[in-house]
Amino acid sequence: MLEIRSARKVFYKGQADEKVALDGLNLRLATGEFGVVIGSNGAGKSSMLNAISGALVLDTGHVVINGDDVTAMPVHKRAMRLARVFQDPMRGTAASMTVAENMLLADLRSNRRTLRRGLNATRLASYKERLSLLGLGLENRLDTRVELLSGGQRQSLSLIMAVGGSPELLLLDEHTAALDPRTADIVMQATIRAVEALKLTTLMVTHNMQHAVDFGHKVVMLDAGRVRLEIDGKDKAQTTVPDLIGHFSVKTDRMFLAS
Amino acid sequence: MDIIQNIISSFVSLVPVTLAQSLILAFVVLGIMIPFRMLSFPDLTSEGAFPLGGCVCGVLMAAGMSPLAAIAIALVAGFVAGCCTAFIHLRFRIHTLLAGILMMTMLYSINLRIMGRSNLSVFGAPTVFDWVPGLQPGFPPSKIVVAGLIALVVFFLLYHFFRTEKGTAVRAVGANPDMAEAQGINVWMATIGGVGLAGAFSAGGGALMVQSQGFADVNMGLGILINGLAALMIGEAIVGKQSVLRQLAAPFVGAVVYYQLVSLCLAAGMPPPDLKLATGLFVLAMLALPSLKRSRGPAPARETVRE
Repeated sequence: MLEIRSARKVFYKGQADEKVALDGLNLRLATGEFGVVIGSNGAGKSSMLNAISGALVLDTGHVVINGDDVTAMPVHKRAMRLARVFQDPMRGTAASMTVAENMLLADLRSNRRTLRRGLNATRLASYKERLSLLGLGLENRLDTRVELLSGGQRQSLSLIMAVGGSPELLLLDEHTAALDPRTADIVMQATIRAVEALKLTTLMVTHNMQHAVDFGHKVVMLDAGRVRLEIDGKDKAQTTVPDLIGHFSVKTDRMFLAS
Repeated sequence: MDIIQNIISSFVSLVPVTLAQSLILAFVVLGIMIPFRMLSFPDLTSEGAFPLGGCVCGVLMAAGMSPLAAIAIALVAGFVAGCCTAFIHLRFRIHTLLAGILMMTMLYSINLRIMGRSNLSVFGAPTVFDWVPGLQPGFPPSKIVVAGLIALVVFFLLYHFFRTEKGTAVRAVGANPDMAEAQGINVWMATIGGVGLAGAFSAGGGALMVQSQGFADVNMGLGILINGLAALMIGEAIVGKQSVLRQLAAPFVGAVVYYQLVSLCLAAGMPPPDLKLATGLFVLAMLALPSLKRSRGPAPARETVRE
């Protein structure tokens, strides 16, 4: 379960270009629930994900994962509980290390790292098996340095790394946005398969309204650092792409009127 | 013909001395390689950590301490120096190079304070090189055996470490700090520990050097960094850096080859004062090579390092 309680973050506080990124944001995601976050640029989506992962320190408010307040924890401590796939395929993997080493790093995310040999035969076999699920042939390239993979392959690897070990919370930060439509589709299908199979509590940020309609139990629309709209249950099933886009345009019209 | 023969004979006669020296300085090269390649943290601390190790070891030997204990304390001193550089960078977000310059400048005064004067003779004090059975102490063969053995042990320990779970995590910090952090790795601990370890190696090289040459000097680190970098570049050109094994072998191979090259240049009559210029030009050429190969367009930055 994920809970964000009245999170507030102001950038450049007291300066002329002061920007309120999160303005008393409240969000609740039940265990096993798949939430999709939409919103225009600057609505606070990335700030929210960064606040959850620990990369952004909140001014006030709390982040609670499965009942434990993690607000004061640094990124690497929170990593024991949550996994994240970044928008940029380069960010989620270590380029100069091999596929197998990257898998190992993810494998040890929530464990204590010891002075035992990292890549042993048991682990290599399990990585092979997990990567073969993607059907991209990555299982035969365990010793390839990640920098030699394509963006789609890297992102698929990031995804497999993230869902391994069943994290308590999975954060997907526009993770298909940098991919071509076909690869994006492959990665998205793999995401849905993994999330459903492992019943992961997932928060996905996307600009793709079709994805927002097709996937997830709940759509959350952010605007100016707070939740503007929450659609779940039966309403979510009946929502269409034009409906969602409508909510965007209402806001844009208001912006026109205001200016 | 006579000239060439002279050059060769004086070069050959220098081979053992140079080999002993290069095996000792290989530890400094290792202390440059680990932050630079494994942590993407270009570190200048070794220019101060090397004489620090030497000064600490010299003072303790002069005070009658056993040579092994003197080296151990020198290692600790170097470790602390490295940790300080990493901490300055992490805590105050000062560029790694500037943090290194600050540290090595401050270490100069500290080294002078430790010794109380600019140089100190420990000639005649027992050294670790005296312990080789069957070899005359104080001559190159005993130094080659001792330094070579230590180098071998260090090489295998490091090779094992960088393939363990912890070691892989340390390398991940160098490869992609953001990703490492997101995978639960404590970037601070890995950086401080890694740069500290490198400082310890540089200081260890200094301590061995003092025992080998019989005196400590605050200026013994002058230019050691650029020599070490040149040696590292040569090593990487020879054995490569694609795998952990190759990357770890590069400092040792590079140090041995580089100092033989220097000795050859000196034997061929190059004036010693020109050596630094030649070394600097060589390192520049090695670093510039990749961008020279791409003849057109602006060259992308060769190294991605932390700032």
